[in-house]
Amino acid sequence: MKLELNDIQGTVLRNRPMPYFGSYLLFSVQEKAGARLLLRRLLPYITTAADWEHPLEDAWINVVFTFEGLKKLGLGNDILLGFPKEFQQGMAARKEFLGDTGDNDPQYWDMPHGGTGFDIGLFVMANEETLREQKISIGHRALAGIAGVTLTTRLDVGVPPNLREHFGYRDGLSRPFIEGEGGTPLAGQGLPVKAGEFLLGYENELGEVAKGPGPEVFWKNGTYIAIRKLKQNVMAFRNFLKSQSETAAGQEFVAAKMMGRWRSGCPLALSPDRDDPELATDKERHNAFSYYDDDLEGFKTPVGSHIRRVNPRDALKDTIVNSRLHIILRRGAAYGPMLPDDAIEDDGIDRGIIIAMINANPGRQFEFVQSQWINDGNFISQGSRTDPILGRKDIADDFVYPAKPVRKHMTGLAAFTLTRGGEHVFLPGIRGLRWLIDADPDEQLLI
Amino acid sequence: MENLQNIQENERTKFAQAVTNQPDGPGKRVGKRGELVLFGKVCPGGAELFRKRLPQFQAEAAYWEKRVGTVHDFRAFLFDNDTRILFLITYDGDFKTYVSDIITQAHEWFDNFFPGIWEGYAGSHDPRSVQLVMDGALTSELFYVAHPDVTVNDIEKMKKLSKAVNDMLDAAN
Repeated sequence: MKLELNDIQGTVLRNRPMPYFGSYLLFSVQEKAGARLLLRRLLPYITTAADWEHPLEDAWINVVFTFEGLKKLGLGNDILLGFPKEFQQGMAARKEFLGDTGDNDPQYWDMPHGGTGFDIGLFVMANEETLREQKISIGHRALAGIAGVTLTTRLDVGVPPNLREHFGYRDGLSRPFIEGEGGTPLAGQGLPVKAGEFLLGYENELGEVAKGPGPEVFWKNGTYIAIRKLKQNVMAFRNFLKSQSETAAGQEFVAAKMMGRWRSGCPLALSPDRDDPELATDKERHNAFSYYDDDLEGFKTPVGSHIRRVNPRDALKDTIVNSRLHIILRRGAAYGPMLPDDAIEDDGIDRGIIIAMINANPGRQFEFVQSQWINDGNFISQGSRTDPILGRKDIADDFVYPAKPVRKHMTGLAAFTLTRGGEHVFLPGIRGLRWLIDADPDEQLLI
Repeated sequence: MENLQNIQENERTKFAQAVTNQPDGPGKRVGKRGELVLFGKVCPGGAELFRKRLPQFQAEAAYWEKRVGTVHDFRAFLFDNDTRILFLITYDGDFKTYVSDIITQAHEWFDNFFPGIWEGYAGSHDPRSVQLVMDGALTSELFYVAHPDVTVNDIEKMKKLSKAVNDMLDAAN
């Protein structure tokens, strides 16, 4: 099985440069002619999976669309109504199902969504901070002199050299191996996942070819990305750890139990009693574990810990859940400055994480994981208990893990993260993008 | 709750449960409990097959539903002169979200029973089967459940806990 690498936008298959300095540029469209001209100018710069290693002008640029954006570009209802319901409605409208209520409600979001002016998005990536500005200037140059398209939001993100996110965890350790992506799977990546879970036009884990609406040229090699902007309350997180233990080692242990990995990235499954930072950096070892035979009850990796919820591996083998239908390809990047380690109070500066989850079926993948595994506990017989790190805390605010002689039960977990943006976007293949630009024969654009 | 303006408050209505529609698909919802009514057409000759295969389907029901882990009860019957089939299910949580899992994971149970009985059932590996379920699904008008916040998993846990407490009390005695 071969993937058409030169037609697939690179972010689907390729890891980002490390360290990494990126920006999300969000555009609002008032006139479709202007939007098409912008896309036409950007087209040569879009980085595919084939040229990821040697991108033009050292820029990695990918382009996405919200449902509202595609509507404004003039796609007809025959195509628009064939999109998945989740994409059509947009993430803000899905708030009840996704648990974005209360303090997470879309009324508090500061990143636009499809209903508030996010029509087209550019992801720009560079491996040096100075280079990022040059890359962004490509976006500005493309926009020059175009009426009817407005750059509304720029959000800088990145992964700092220590590879940690704001709570101090090393991020980006585990990802599925996609059939046809090239290379060989690392230990612990398991059976390659069918490409149709992440790309339209290929067979998925149900044995069907994942399809999009309209002509095949439009959707083939495209996919959907669920974008989430989560504000992190770092001081609340640190204070919670301190409330659980007086010693630094004890706090590290609690942080590890909540995540399922030590903050170094070392998995509890392989080193349950002490951190082993060397193991964390060993790509052939840091994912080489499963749960069913070794730790079904969660004595090492708690069943309610973050990594075991969002990627249960083989833990749910005895249940009706087919975990292979709910795999997402996740890319996280931090925004905002790190809170200094010795800070004694919150500095009031906004910081958090932008998570991009690539999935060919947003309902069966991202939305399933968010609604069933992050914001509920019934699948692991834990009632309404939610993810200790990412879950909503208005319906349950406790976390439990088995220990000897008795279980450890912690209460009073705060909302360590708050949703501050979210949208389902469509990332077309290169031919799809070209089709989208040329779809309206009435418009012969001057470049 | 719908049509609140049509309710005359009295000493009985203060026990009213908050009934909503499932946030993501057919069926009503009270707390964690959902319900589903599912209609289908019976194939010609399907009624005989239904009766022939039913004992095996019934005998395996507890095994499969335990694996599903969220179903409180499940009923099926033929009506309209054996031309139509009706399923009634109450379960925990969301329905549509799990359709693909249930159909692919319990395929043996379904595929040994439904072909030739349920018109349009194309086998568990055929995406049309998920569509058949969604197309035939209806939402009840009335829904009441006892203990809407207790799931099948919660009941399992409570039983275990209750037994452990009783064993401890017996031991102390």
